[in-house]
Amino acid sequence: MYKTQKYYITKDKKIIELINENYSLLLCLQHFNIDFSVNNKTVQEICIENNIGVNTFIIIANLYNSFLPSENEILKIDDIKPILQFLKRSHSFYTEDKYPELKYYLEKLKNDSSLNEFILIEQFFNEYFEEVMEHLKYEDEIAFPYFHSLIQDRMTYQKKSFSSKEYKNHHTDIETKLADLKNLFLKHLKIESELNIKRKFLNTLFGLEFDLKIHSVIEEKILIPLIEIIEKKHNG
Amino acid sequence: MDKCRQNIVVLEPSKIIYEGIYASISKSEYNYSFYHVDSLIELETILIKKDITIVLINPSLIQNKIKEFIKIQKQYSKIRWIGIIYSLFDNSTTKLFDNLFMLTDDVTRIAKIITKACSKISTLDKNDEQLSEREIIVLKHLAKGLSNKIIADKLNLSVHTINTHRKNIMDKTGIRSLAGLTIYAVSIGIISLD
Repeated sequence: MYKTQKYYITKDKKIIELINENYSLLLCLQHFNIDFSVNNKTVQEICIENNIGVNTFIIIANLYNSFLPSENEILKIDDIKPILQFLKRSHSFYTEDKYPELKYYLEKLKNDSSLNEFILIEQFFNEYFEEVMEHLKYEDEIAFPYFHSLIQDRMTYQKKSFSSKEYKNHHTDIETKLADLKNLFLKHLKIESELNIKRKFLNTLFGLEFDLKIHSVIEEKILIPLIEIIEKKHNG
Repeated sequence: MDKCRQNIVVLEPSKIIYEGIYASISKSEYNYSFYHVDSLIELETILIKKDITIVLINPSLIQNKIKEFIKIQKQYSKIRWIGIIYSLFDNSTTKLFDNLFMLTDDVTRIAKIITKACSKISTLDKNDEQLSEREIIVLKHLAKGLSNKIIADKLNLSVHTINTHRKNIMDKTGIRSLAGLTIYAVSIGIISLD
């Protein structure tokens, strides 16, 4: 399930050219903790330098270019640790970067606007934010430790609280509320404020939505199937 | 919904065929967004998440799942269903679609079939963007936090009917969460903040 675009990342392509083509790959590099001074290096060279599996990098980076991997490509991933680290770093990006930014613009809009329902919007946003934080906490404290214990072959950690269905439901709720926020601003509410602030708020919202979408795809389409394979192996 | 915007899902196992369809018909007066799925389950997921107007289907993927398919069709009655025909198919399968095209058909003809389906949807939608009186009443109760069951009792309607109203409200406003609908209800003045 994806929107088609026409460029595909492979191991011999130069990172700088890819960034020039789609600068949102900078975010992908950041989540992999790869520095932006990439010189003239190829995807493969950068991966070796940063100790990240080339397959893993190619699959995830291609999501930023709107390409979903096939099942066979996913099965070629032999180390899920970099994926977990990638996801964990993107959590910090949401909590320390994107959400504070949204809050900041929302506060500015609130000060400018005489709209009565702004109090509800603020409440909506705060509840949504709480929900996201809870989900990230669930991932950090329950899902990821469970995945780590699986890959380290430590079966001492009990599966008790992890459920992939619950995981997916969280994602759907988060995506729905984000889309609602966008629709309220673009379709229904007339907010008096500087156009510039409104655009910055929406820009941040779209940026967040884009990265969150990729985040859910990585978890639902790549990580969970790989985890299920490891679980099966453990259960003999 | 925007008259010119159409979300099209292609239910087709072959990526090559999907890419071909996408490339051939994406240039149009309509803003087409394409999504590729290869199973009924994946189709259902995307129907929940996106406001889909047209589904192009390879009939072989529903041949043994006719019942499930009809159920989905009933649930999403506004969607136009178009069959992608490679070879001969049983009439009982092909008659489930609003229209068909052969893979060997000329691109212009295929594009025309899809444009025609879009214009039908647009006419359907033209008078359909405003909430009806009944929908406004349902929205008012929803925004006050009443459950479907209580609203149904109050209005002397079935829970099923309330669900349909609720779905229509969501489709028309593009707002899916209850909290979001409450903000919308306040913004159009059908409930007050107090």
